[in-house]
Amino acid sequence: MLLEQLSGNLLQGLVLGAVYGMATMGLSLIFGVLQVVNVGHGAFIMVGSFTALMMFQGMGIPPVFAIPVAMLIGMGLGMLFYYGAMKPLVSPSGSGIRKMSPKVLGMAGGGFVGMLILMWIGSGLFKLNVAIYIFVGIIFIYGFFLYIYGGRRQDKAPELATLLVTFSLGVILEEVVKQIFTSESRGYNWDIGKLDVGITVFPYPKLLAAFGSMMIAILLYLWFKKTRAGMAMRSVVEDDVGARVCGVDVDWQYALSFSLGIGLTVTSGVLLTMFIPVGINPYMGGPYTLKAFVIAVLGGLASPYAAFFGGVVFGLLENGSYTLFANIPGVEPFAMTRFFSFVMLLVILLIRPTGLLRAK
Amino acid sequence: MMKKIDKYYPIIPVLVAYAVLLGYGLVNPGKWQLVSQLAFYCTLGQAFNLFMGMTGYVDFGYVAFMGVGTYGMAVSIYHLYDKGLGLWIVVIGLVLGALFATLLSLAVGAVALRLRGAYFAIATIGVNEGFRYLVEGARIWNGSEGMIFTRHMKKAMGRETAMALSTFWADILMFGVAILAAALTLVYMRNKVGYALTALREDEDAAKVMGINVTKYKIIAFITSAAMAGLLGATAWALKLNYVYPADVFEIHYTVEAIIIVLLGGAGTLLGPIVGGLIYGISKYYLSIVLPGFQLLIFAPIIIGIIVLFPEGTVGVLKKRLMGTPLQKYVI
Repeated sequence: MLLEQLSGNLLQGLVLGAVYGMATMGLSLIFGVLQVVNVGHGAFIMVGSFTALMMFQGMGIPPVFAIPVAMLIGMGLGMLFYYGAMKPLVSPSGSGIRKMSPKVLGMAGGGFVGMLILMWIGSGLFKLNVAIYIFVGIIFIYGFFLYIYGGRRQDKAPELATLLVTFSLGVILEEVVKQIFTSESRGYNWDIGKLDVGITVFPYPKLLAAFGSMMIAILLYLWFKKTRAGMAMRSVVEDDVGARVCGVDVDWQYALSFSLGIGLTVTSGVLLTMFIPVGINPYMGGPYTLKAFVIAVLGGLASPYAAFFGGVVFGLLENGSYTLFANIPGVEPFAMTRFFSFVMLLVILLIRPTGLLRAK
Repeated sequence: MMKKIDKYYPIIPVLVAYAVLLGYGLVNPGKWQLVSQLAFYCTLGQAFNLFMGMTGYVDFGYVAFMGVGTYGMAVSIYHLYDKGLGLWIVVIGLVLGALFATLLSLAVGAVALRLRGAYFAIATIGVNEGFRYLVEGARIWNGSEGMIFTRHMKKAMGRETAMALSTFWADILMFGVAILAAALTLVYMRNKVGYALTALREDEDAAKVMGINVTKYKIIAFITSAAMAGLLGATAWALKLNYVYPADVFEIHYTVEAIIIVLLGGAGTLLGPIVGGLIYGISKYYLSIVLPGFQLLIFAPIIIGIIVLFPEGTVGVLKKRLMGTPLQKYVI
């Protein structure tokens, strides 16, 4: 009985783990290239979930087609936030907004306008109030100040600064979404049948999500290994000064990998909605941020594919330990599973901070 | 050269600020709630600044120390109320709160202080959440049901005393914690600990090469800061509110507030947390009247703005302006 339950849960964990892996790749990509930990990770996942929700409820478009939209919104947000807040901190050579090229402005503007259109569609369903105007106003005032004062810093900012900035970006997203949709939990049900494998049952959307995240991981892998652009990004990971000497536009690589990382994260939010029938709310990202940290550390913080495998391992461990804790009387299995994952985080950080899959 | 007593002049503006705050609260009883809230923010900033400001490490799990401090007081009242100890319960609670926080900080420090930068931040977030889920999951101290001990407090020391304690004396004790934290900060700054930590903040490897035992000084600052947080939790939360729930006291939100306060005022300065706490507290109070629900939306871009544009904070800017004037020795 226990064995059957365990193996069923482990299979579920495998499927969930693939999506967890996908949700962590963006974090690892950003850390690998920019040496920045995105503490607002969960908020970007939340943006993806809301994108899927709005497209499904507002327009009746199944979440599979929300994936490219989410990718675009994510990359646009990434560009906007990189040039608005991150650039003066990670790449001190020039000021932020003053150096924005038309290409970048186009991407950031496109993503932002896309988000506004989605919100406008969503406003038929949900309440839209002054939050969005305040948000836009703040961005403009802030951009004005950045234009005047930006670029004063000569050295790379300390880690503290980047941590706080990414955290604040996450808070901004959460608060804007809260103002529009209120903080209650929502959800949608995309029912297209299920697959019965004897010990457990998989709804097709879950399988599709796992398959989709695997495809994205493979595509990313091929892009990194086979294309020139991917090679340029890898060279920045290896040595940013060396890459600059060899003629790689390091600033552009930073911007590109930040927006790509955010894009991947937002996309994973779409996929994650298949696993949470109800539970899309502005603050849903918190637990995923923490899980992503555990997974990223498990795989090795700087490598996206290691993060993917870390995600699969984490999915298995999480579901396995849940089954075991559920059979111990007197404890709350849900909370204990979380506790277990943090113990794991600390142990790995202590004994092998480079990750399980990487050589020391 | 600086005379021996001159070294400690900067405590004067701190004491003046707290005295003014306290006096304002005593003169206007209607504003006491605001005053105690402001004092809470200032104390939070002072305690947090002891570690973050002096070392440059960001402890994202700081609120965990306040949480266990709250539990220290709660456990003392909850389990000792019928032993006839009277007000000694509060003393025991304060000691227990500081002790729990110190023990947790020792455990966390042993793991996390070996790590740097991003890894340290990740580990400390993990500790806070992990401890919260351990309390809930293993049902330690009543698990997620929490403890409510209004009745116990009334039984232990009588109705009148209990009421006075939770409405007035808890805040006074909090002022005490604030001044203690400020004094400790100043003492550290003017002694070997402060110099070592400044060296560490500027360049850890260089400090190590110079023969500074950075681990020792980091742990000293970490434990002190944690113990202050424990006392703050015991006074501002347990004594004042008379209940404790794990979801409330391990809320990461308070860590963020501490970070905002320290940054607004200026990290690594003595006056910074007070200035930051007052600015943050007053603006939050009035924002919640004018634009309820928008506080975080307005504060988050402000944090980014400060970090990008004025990384040294209000007091940092002020310090630069006052360089060379007679006021210089009062502001650090």
